[in-house]
Amino acid sequence: MDDSQQISLNKVSVAYPGAERNQLSDLTIKTPAHQIIGILGPSNSGKTTLCRLLSGIIPQVMRADVQGEYRLGTLNPTANWAEINRFIGYVFQNPADQLSGMAETVATEMAFSLVNLGQSASAIDAKVRALARQFQLIDQLNQNPATLSGGQMQRLAIACALVTDPEVLIFDDPTSQMDPVGTSQFFAWLKNQHDKTIFVTSTNVDALCNTVDSLWVLNAGQLVASGTPRKIFNQPAKSELIPAPVVFNLASQMGWALPDGDYPVTQAELMEATGHER
Amino acid sequence: MSVEINQLHFTYQNSNFGLQIPALSLDKGLTAIVGQNGAGKSTFFKLLMGLLPLQDGNISINGKGSHELTGRARLTEIGILFQNPDDQLFNATVKKEVTWSARQITRDRAQVDQIVESALTKVELLDKADENPFDLSLSDRKLLAFATLLATNPQTYLMDEPMIALDWHSQTIVLHILKQLADEGRQIIVSTHDMDLVAHSFPRVITFDHGAMVFDGTPTALFGSPAILAQAGLLPPRIMQLCALLGDTNVYLTTEDYVSKHQA
Ligand SMILES: Nc1ncnc2c1ncn2[C@@H]1O[C@H](COP(=O)(O)OP(=O)(O)OP(=O)(O)O)[C@@H](O)[C@H]1O
Ligand SMILES: [Mg+2]
Repeated sequence: MDDSQQISLNKVSVAYPGAERNQLSDLTIKTPAHQIIGILGPSNSGKTTLCRLLSGIIPQVMRADVQGEYRLGTLNPTANWAEINRFIGYVFQNPADQLSGMAETVATEMAFSLVNLGQSASAIDAKVRALARQFQLIDQLNQNPATLSGGQMQRLAIACALVTDPEVLIFDDPTSQMDPVGTSQFFAWLKNQHDKTIFVTSTNVDALCNTVDSLWVLNAGQLVASGTPRKIFNQPAKSELIPAPVVFNLASQMGWALPDGDYPVTQAELMEATGHER
Repeated sequence: MSVEINQLHFTYQNSNFGLQIPALSLDKGLTAIVGQNGAGKSTFFKLLMGLLPLQDGNISINGKGSHELTGRARLTEIGILFQNPDDQLFNATVKKEVTWSARQITRDRAQVDQIVESALTKVELLDKADENPFDLSLSDRKLLAFATLLATNPQTYLMDEPMIALDWHSQTIVLHILKQLADEGRQIIVSTHDMDLVAHSFPRVITFDHGAMVFDGTPTALFGSPAILAQAGLLPPRIMQLCALLGDTNVYLTTEDYVSKHQA
């Protein structure tokens, strides 16, 4: 495959200023763009740092020492953040960090990037309303963003990242404060974004397995495994640091294997393994 | 140990949200509060803490009027873990953060040191004692905020979404501490969106929907009531969602529960 269609990391290490150790060490991987990649790993394994690197926030906005090479298709995020910033939507782990602090209402917060792009008032209004509907923020459009509930703020943070319809999306634990229905709607929407390159971290292993094309597993700053969710959880040496999805636990205890002997890690695979195919 | 609420009504000035609780009594042990985003869980906690004005009705905390409790008396009765840890961290190092809390309880140097060490050990942050809280990951900041609460060790713990950002290992630690506190007779009230957690660890669950209390009972009763789940916009635990796909709509609180009932 031609490099312009690939995500490639070659011996990438990241160290924060003053830190004794690298936060990420020697990450090397080459994989197609335009897929959904889930990033899993225990706390402090480097998931947020990796998101910052992938987006170019490190080292362009946040200081850190970066070694090695990273390319996202034709883009070079670590070098040209200003130029590629508009292609990338980023959702912060803590939604309060995403607020501009300058908007008096949820509607103006959502409109910021569109105003900067010089779009017409009616186009902006239509886009804001559509996203507010998708993320159930219609009743909050005139409310001050700082007074939203945690989950509402997280919904706003996602809406703000999507408003310009960027080609690359990076979500750092985007549903940690969302209610169960909101979480399942978000992941169902994500699964349908076929033409984008998407990175998503989450502690919701079940939702990740149902959604992503491949998983990257981090531990102590190293990329310790990558592959489809099914492969990751079925390999004999699977990491004890990450709990398997409930589907896998259920199926392996009940002996519900797929034809090739793997245990299912998604709902669709569970249906197949139990002969409930739709 | 109890929290009594009567005829509580509260509205915000700048939104159309209102919380109404005609009567609610919370005893010691573990209680979960669930409900959609914006249902009023954090508002309820802030009212219990006296952080929002009591407009109508009354709240008593362990026999005392909540809005009359002040200073040290309040700290030993009730404490909160905020949903966003950044709302409660303001010292220059991890150790100073917990020390600050401990000093609200006692001025005895040796005692303060002992409280700080014990709290940081419990949440596994002792080796980060000299770091700046804002250099920590969100999960460590959440654990640090919990440690400051452990340092004051109030009779009533209000835990607003304690598991946010925590990995599986840290969630296990926090749950273990909460269960231990409950066993010691503390009152632990936890808001969460994790229905698996509610199902496997909480004897009592209260459900809010648009500021109204729509359920108060056991997880078995809640997850066995499709009508209440639908009204409150909730889903059952994952194991039940999977079983429903397979055509089994019985209540199962854990995977082990299902497996033990179906293995020959
Ligand atoms: N200071 C405020 N001014 C106006 N409205 C507010 C204020 N704080 C909260 N609200 C609104 O009150 C409602 C309840 O908010 P609350 O934070 O209690 O919800 P919650 O159940 O904790 O939600 P979440 O699950 O998202 O944390 C929300 O609609 C919110 O937007
Ligand atoms: Mg809340």
